[in-house]
Amino acid sequence: MTTALGTFKDRARKALGDKTLKTALDRTTGNARVKRAAAVAAWPDFDRARAAAAAIKDHALAHFPHYLEQFERNALASGAKIHWARDAKEACAAVIDICRQAKAKTATRSKSMLGEEIGLPDALAEAGIRRVETDLAEHIIQLAGETPSHIIWPAAHRTREDVSKLFQQHHRDHLLLTEVEAMVASARHELRDDFFGAEVGISGANFLVAETGAICTITNEGNAELTTTPPRVHIVTAGIEKIVATTEHALQLTRLLVRSATGADLTQYTTFHCGPKRAGDRDGPEEFHIVLVDHGRTQMLEEMPDMLRCVRCGACLNHCVVYRKIGGHAYGGAYPGPMGAALTPIFDGLEPSRDLPHACTLNGMCKQVCPVDIPLPTLLRDWRAKSFRQGFESPALRRGLALWALVASKPRLYRAALALALPLLRRRGKDGWIAALPFTPGWTQSRDFPTPAKKTFLAQIESGEQA
Amino acid sequence: MEENANSGGARQAPPKVGLFATCLVDMLRPNIGFSALELLRAAGCDVEVPKAQTCCGQPAYNSGDDASAKRLARQVIEIFEDFDYLVAPSGSCAAMIRVHYPELFHADPAMRERAERLGAKTFELLSFLADVRGFRPRGVSCKASATYHDTCSGLRELGVKAQPRALLAAIEGLEMRPMEGEETCCGFGGTFCVKYSEISDAIVTEKAENIVATGADLLLGGDLGCLLNMAGKLRRAGASTRVFHAAELLAGRALHAIGEEKP
Amino acid sequence: MSARHDIFSALRRLRPQSHSEAAIAAQARDLARAMQDCLPPLEFSDLVENFIARVTAEKVGASVERAADWSNLPEAVARYAETHGLAKEAALQPDSRLLALDWSEIRAAPLTSDTMMAVGAARGGIAETGSLLFHSGPEAPTLYGFMPLHHIVALEARAIVARFEDYAAQEQGQPQPRNVNFITGASGTTDIEGVLARGAHGPRRLHIVMIG
Repeated sequence: MTTALGTFKDRARKALGDKTLKTALDRTTGNARVKRAAAVAAWPDFDRARAAAAAIKDHALAHFPHYLEQFERNALASGAKIHWARDAKEACAAVIDICRQAKAKTATRSKSMLGEEIGLPDALAEAGIRRVETDLAEHIIQLAGETPSHIIWPAAHRTREDVSKLFQQHHRDHLLLTEVEAMVASARHELRDDFFGAEVGISGANFLVAETGAICTITNEGNAELTTTPPRVHIVTAGIEKIVATTEHALQLTRLLVRSATGADLTQYTTFHCGPKRAGDRDGPEEFHIVLVDHGRTQMLEEMPDMLRCVRCGACLNHCVVYRKIGGHAYGGAYPGPMGAALTPIFDGLEPSRDLPHACTLNGMCKQVCPVDIPLPTLLRDWRAKSFRQGFESPALRRGLALWALVASKPRLYRAALALALPLLRRRGKDGWIAALPFTPGWTQSRDFPTPAKKTFLAQIESGEQA
Repeated sequence: MEENANSGGARQAPPKVGLFATCLVDMLRPNIGFSALELLRAAGCDVEVPKAQTCCGQPAYNSGDDASAKRLARQVIEIFEDFDYLVAPSGSCAAMIRVHYPELFHADPAMRERAERLGAKTFELLSFLADVRGFRPRGVSCKASATYHDTCSGLRELGVKAQPRALLAAIEGLEMRPMEGEETCCGFGGTFCVKYSEISDAIVTEKAENIVATGADLLLGGDLGCLLNMAGKLRRAGASTRVFHAAELLAGRALHAIGEEKP
Repeated sequence: MSARHDIFSALRRLRPQSHSEAAIAAQARDLARAMQDCLPPLEFSDLVENFIARVTAEKVGASVERAADWSNLPEAVARYAETHGLAKEAALQPDSRLLALDWSEIRAAPLTSDTMMAVGAARGGIAETGSLLFHSGPEAPTLYGFMPLHHIVALEARAIVARFEDYAAQEQGQPQPRNVNFITGASGTTDIEGVLARGAHGPRRLHIVMIG
């Protein structure tokens, strides 16, 4: 995609040259991989559990309207108000509308990738509502004026040294902190008053539970509950694909989600929220709104239903060789990494985002670590095929592939062409290596290429040689 | 896997194996083709190298050009469907045929069935030798240390992991050294490495560091594309690690590593 | 047309309902059972032992002490305060079991944003993960688990179930509370370089007094 920061390739190049980014990504994704591996090793039946988890999500999607309706019915009965949004604009408008009715000056927000997807931070700013991000990483990037670069660790691109500088500059105490513990304490202190002063608290949802009408949040910091309980109004924004049949299913999926994300058995805080404050309750919101967002989900149900299983654990990011080198911002969408490369063409259109499914080696690690077995390489390959069919690929590439296929489908022509081309290529070699290839300079910019054989394998077989 | 080893038991008629050399081996490193030929024969196969073979169509498939990919897939199916087995010294080409041909023809039941039939008897060389033929090399020695990179398609699409190690364990004098991130992609990715060469370079740079850190004399693997990428980087980085396809070592044909021309 | 109408029309077109509600519910139960066949193993068959092992494991990091009965709770709280150099003052969750105790050693204080210590009573526990369970209500306001820096929780050993599935079975057909909280260790974050740090917004320490 082309954004203010140029094309995907420009952004990737910039990221590759950023030493601090490399350090931050290596540390965060490295820690995540080690912890996930340990958690999976302690679960001998993990692979079978993955299949069972995929089946649980698929079940909810197979009966999508049934469960969504059941969820709505139960949520309404609990006193929740339901708002439906076809797209990002409608979703933001619904949130802003609720905020205005609540006469909100300040809204606290607990990390929600859907919120990022629909552009809620900008919508709140435009509406003049002060937004306070309460998740530590979201707080860091809010201070830095950035967007998340990871779906679990939005500040994955920042080192502790970066955070120290940001906090010294922006926190009221202006202290220079070197220990992570001290930085965390500083953020706790900084955000304390806002938790209790905000009129509105906005959260996402990890699950929408049809059988109860409850929504589930999972966090480690406890910021979700502090965001959603004290304010008078709690707004949930959730993609409709978060639907699951039962509390049991939600908890079963959480087992895999958390292990895949952070390697823990369970997040510190796993909370089901169902409706507003009840008679006798000493805390809790007086109004409980759920904004249910389509924004491409129904399109995905038709074109890419596997992707609706995604539970947003981030394992595919941590294990992706490309993500690990370029980080999240280079992708240019709300979601980076393999899952982002599959999703972004839905949200932003294929033509402007077609680099994302191409910038992948199709090595399959993302599928291997996905807790709900999403065939990400297949989905990305499908986007490539679609991009090719729709004529988005360059004429040079199209002609090149067609020519290659034509020659390769005529074996005698192919042999003759190789017999001509290989000697020419050999002439570029020195000491067995070619330092600059014609036509594909990308290879030899950073690698050498071995000089090809004098005669092809088949030519040698033909002439009865055994080398 | 499909068949049990039949090494010790009563001798059956040798299976007819069509060796699909792959376009990279054909063009760049015939020694891998000859190594495959010798190993398959040593494993009791009746091997033929069909002359009409060219490319499996993977570059087109991975670029989204399904029409071109189908054209080449059809050709491979026609050439190889009458053999008992198709064997290729490459995890990614074998996976293309075994896993992706049926997907490619999903809307064409007749071709899909042919693709599935061929797919079921298509194998990557090292796993074919170990799993189907129960083969172990005899009398091969190599006094060196080596590290193994699990190439991604073979590993994740075909389950090639233990087989090459089991085969290599039969080479006398060869000391295997595990590598940090041995299951992590080297950044080749076919057209990826030229289209996104800078990202690819960052990935293979880390890979080369991990290879060098093992201190091994040799880097081995089962896919020439990935080996070219790593060998090219190691060479550019000034490392002395010598790079071979595992089959070359197993066949006792590891004389000249990638980039070491025959004198 | 309304957004709701459009969304449901698309969903119904793509996923027309082909089964009875009972059949769908039966499928859902089968899927939950399929997952039950491949759960991570419990380290100890004794639920209390497993709970304690999980909740005191490094990655959860809570502390546990055993007490014979509820009457031992106030002295445990007092001891905790002494050990951690805290004033003998705590916000007490308005749980009737807890309020019935003799708190003469501990000054009861209201729950505020800078409460140092709160004492709570869990509804139950999950042995598999070492999680405490709370259902919000008049006797269990949600924020007691989130506002203090030190959270001390009484948990009856007999209220521990093995797994989430046992909890779900127990709650089947019961009304859904406003909040169900599973609390597993103290608040923590790995947001800076993936390194775990405690006390992000919720409690920095979680201490469990296991009763019975």
